[in-house]
Amino acid sequence: MGYDFQWGVILTYKELLIEGLIMTIKLSVIGIFFSFFIGSIVGIARSSKNFFTSLFASYYVEFFRNIPLIVQIFFFYFAFGISQVFPFLETIGTQIGIESVDEFFSALIALILYTSAYIAEAVKAGILSIAKGQEEAAKSIGMNAFQRMYYIIYPQAFRIIIPPLTSQFLNLIKNSSLAMTIGVAELTFSSQQIDAETFRGFEAATAVTLLYIFLTLFTSFWMNILEHKFSKGVKNA
Amino acid sequence: MHNFSKNVENFFAQNKILFFALNIAIIITLLKTFQVFAFPEADFSDFFTKNNMKFLFFGKDGEVGGLVLTFVLAISSIAISFVLGSLIGIARWAQIKIFKYPAIVYIEIIRATPLIMVIFWVFFAIPVFSLSFFGVRTSVSPAIAAVIALSIFTSAYVAEIVRAGINSIPKGQFEGAKSVGMNGFQVFFYIILPQAYRKMIPTFISQFVALFKDTSLAYTIGVVEFFRAATILNNRIYLSFEIFSFVALIYFSIAFSMSKFALKLEKKVEKQLNE
Repeated sequence: MGYDFQWGVILTYKELLIEGLIMTIKLSVIGIFFSFFIGSIVGIARSSKNFFTSLFASYYVEFFRNIPLIVQIFFFYFAFGISQVFPFLETIGTQIGIESVDEFFSALIALILYTSAYIAEAVKAGILSIAKGQEEAAKSIGMNAFQRMYYIIYPQAFRIIIPPLTSQFLNLIKNSSLAMTIGVAELTFSSQQIDAETFRGFEAATAVTLLYIFLTLFTSFWMNILEHKFSKGVKNA
Repeated sequence: MHNFSKNVENFFAQNKILFFALNIAIIITLLKTFQVFAFPEADFSDFFTKNNMKFLFFGKDGEVGGLVLTFVLAISSIAISFVLGSLIGIARWAQIKIFKYPAIVYIEIIRATPLIMVIFWVFFAIPVFSLSFFGVRTSVSPAIAAVIALSIFTSAYVAEIVRAGINSIPKGQFEGAKSVGMNGFQVFFYIILPQAYRKMIPTFISQFVALFKDTSLAYTIGVVEFFRAATILNNRIYLSFEIFSFVALIYFSIAFSMSKFALKLEKKVEKQLNE
């Protein structure tokens, strides 16, 4: 008496899987955009010479990095009630085609906070690795602090931090699977749904795993191209 | 302003204990302000009872649960993945193709898969495999499935740490060991591996911190560890803010102190290697 595999289940439920995939991509793309933005700001603050700025940035980093993501998601969902605190999220949610606004944004905001803390550390390391002469030279031609960071330091640091940034983006894509715990219908949720309806958890898990591998490979492929592009004309790249 | 912040920095660099106290004071003030503005009606007195705390930290009577189970999961998984990860990492590093390529496939697949999927995989796959290969119906307990899944997941990351550790050993060590007449096996196990492990210790502790946070995902298959205990409590007394902020603080203080410890150790190891 063996287990008979029925891979046809995947084709029968392909719409469910595609819906899940789209939700995962939505979470990932918005999450990557905002966590990179916030992470860069916090990372710049973290590398600041001002004691208090870097202290408060390190609070942010340590706080969100050391609390498990699932706890943050549950905190935002059960305790915080995100769409009551920020009513405008409701309208944004309907515009990007989300039905369960509360769940989606709880998961999204937790993901952004969690990942941006890691990205901030990478950004800080990148900025500190830029030679001091760069900043001094920029200062000597009369640039202010913002210009020095925006035109001189950060673009160079960005090239260096692309590899750690890629791995954080991949982590975000993978961590978006935790959104299923509060009922966001993303990829892992679809596999659970298929399992609940057909008892074919094994086949569904295989299909979803392959989709995740595809997503991560796709992302790292484009990040590699980006890295290649940015290291054009750079010594020792 | 600039001078002032420099002075403050120097002052706290000399008085580490004062700096620690300042940090605690600032954090408590921030959290309290947050609570007063966001949840003015929060009431911890119903939550901080002896029974609730006992359930959160030790689980139900006669069962291992709560924070204790979290530590049991984390420590047993890190022990297994240390062994498994070392083997895979060495296989990945070795130049022998039949070892190297399976190791690469394992590492890449596991690292591309979310932990939650690995947990479901193990939970579903063990009954399926035992049915199709041995014809036996088995049901594996969630806690054991969680340990297996966490070990499989973490060992892929440990393997990369081990490989990086071995790669960081300078070539002169290999050549020196060979020149005193050691064979390949001896060179590797007496000279290279001990040094690599010593360099790895801080990274390894960071991995343990990550694993400690990841044990909260065992929640999804019904293991009553710290986080699941908290959600059960939440369903019972429905004090979401109190419960989840408390749980977050506990996780934070454990993970943070461990990662600070790893950082300290890293500096120490670096200093020793430079001497």
